[in-house]
Amino acid sequence: MSQTTTEIDRQSIADFLYDEAEMLDERRFLDWFALFTEDSHYWIPLAGTSDPQRHVSIIYDDHKLLAERTKRLSGHLAYAQIPQSRTSHLVGNIRITEADSDEITVTSRLVVTEFRRSERHVHSGLQEHRLQQVDGGFRIRLKRVDLIDNDGRLGNLSIIL
Amino acid sequence: MSRVEQGARSPYITDNWEVSGEIYRNPGVFAKEMRNIFGRSWVYVAHETEIPAGGDYKTAHIGLQPVIVSRDSDDGGIHVLFNRCRHRGSAVCQEESGNSNFFRCAYHGWTYGNDGRLIGVPFDDGYGESFDKSKMGLAHVARVASYRGFIFASLDPEITDLEEYLGNGRRYLDFIADLGGEAGIDLSARAQKLVYRGNWKLQIENTIDPYHFSFTHQSWLDILKERTGKSSPWVKNVRTNSEWRGIDLTGGHAVHEFGALGAERDTHGIAIGELIPFNLNIFPSLAFVGAHLRLVVPRSVRETWVYLYPVFPADADEATRDRILRDHETFYGPSGAGSSDDIEVGFDRVTNGLEADGSPKDWTLMARGLNREELDEETGMRIGRSSDEVPQRAYLRKWSEMMEADA
Repeated sequence: MSQTTTEIDRQSIADFLYDEAEMLDERRFLDWFALFTEDSHYWIPLAGTSDPQRHVSIIYDDHKLLAERTKRLSGHLAYAQIPQSRTSHLVGNIRITEADSDEITVTSRLVVTEFRRSERHVHSGLQEHRLQQVDGGFRIRLKRVDLIDNDGRLGNLSIIL
Repeated sequence: MSRVEQGARSPYITDNWEVSGEIYRNPGVFAKEMRNIFGRSWVYVAHETEIPAGGDYKTAHIGLQPVIVSRDSDDGGIHVLFNRCRHRGSAVCQEESGNSNFFRCAYHGWTYGNDGRLIGVPFDDGYGESFDKSKMGLAHVARVASYRGFIFASLDPEITDLEEYLGNGRRYLDFIADLGGEAGIDLSARAQKLVYRGNWKLQIENTIDPYHFSFTHQSWLDILKERTGKSSPWVKNVRTNSEWRGIDLTGGHAVHEFGALGAERDTHGIAIGELIPFNLNIFPSLAFVGAHLRLVVPRSVRETWVYLYPVFPADADEATRDRILRDHETFYGPSGAGSSDDIEVGFDRVTNGLEADGSPKDWTLMARGLNREELDEETGMRIGRSSDEVPQRAYLRKWSEMMEADA
């Protein structure tokens, strides 16, 4: 690990992930989308061994596709979210696994509890962010979520994890 | 209720194509479907490219029957075996797919070759002289056949041959199989798996339904408009293009063509994969839409699994694979704009509404386009307009016939 990583960086990275989680729980999808770089991806693979160029994913959005996704969720015609889900994103076990001047790789454990149509669902797994440092803050170049049930049978998964 | 036309009687469907809500709700109907429909049809279980090498296997279902589909290590043939130990009934194969020359039951160590033969029984002195290992292998499903790489199995030993069963659906399967030219197609992209709390027939009825697209999927049309700067011609085509037509292929199969097969045409322009220029239902549970193969797996009267396998032309370059995968993922699958809205609108809300079994009008109406469908007397095929319910009636005709057939 690079010597540039300090305790202060760790806290600001953790704060960034917590802010991201709050945005999603407050359904501020467009603010959340603004965190992503133009060369970014939001990726929910189907399995740990997934190659997005060879295997289908649950989500593999580049910046343009993610713009469409968040805009659709912000509108009133996404029936998969009528009624809307109530979510609670819990981010923990935050670890910085790599850091250099260009990019910081952070893994964390994500537990999203969702309440919709009188039912609770739990989506959880390992989350990986690749972050770019900008102007004293961060932007997201990659958000990858490996759900523990990614190759199981899934229902309406229209929330942002 | 009165009988269905053409002498196929059903207590559930009137001559005017009012369909009783019971067929989506009643566990007794579901149990009968498992015997009369899934027990007497050719049911798709695998594509040859999923089990290419000797020893390869995957698990599947024929109705509720758990089976293993394996490729023989010696002669390369396909076996479809009940996933059930002959001793005390344990499932012997625990993985969804893999490669193995044998399956060993963890309970008492009985071991079977991947062709089903019983090759090992620990402490076999516990069985007398009459114990014949050769008769104690994994039971084979009655019939197995492959058409152009699509492997089907049937629980019915008397069923007509697969090619005859596929009937007028064959030319569409040929079109799909030919997509990769000499190289063929492959299902190496793996599959998304959906589950919804509703009857399996709701998915069948939703697969060929251009009528709903501009309502349920308006948000998708809005996305397309943003991409291209102009409104999609989809609605105009559904309403006015006579080449967009729903066809009852007989045998329960149906197709919606977006232009005559093989003709030069624009794509249907909705960016859902754009590989297969039609929506095809092969009775009872197989479909092809966009760029994927779709398999409907009924679990109970109110639970259904749907597996979505993107299809690649086997010689596809990276750009083609990327387009197919991204177009598929954005519309289909648990987080796809189309599938998630279909689960909510076409399955969950319909299931909720159908709970009103006390309604004096406890039927759905499958009559759209009855007044204008064209019947080809010679072939029995019926052709309707794009938004008409010819495909739904196609499968319900076959469904009725089989449900009312005597044992």
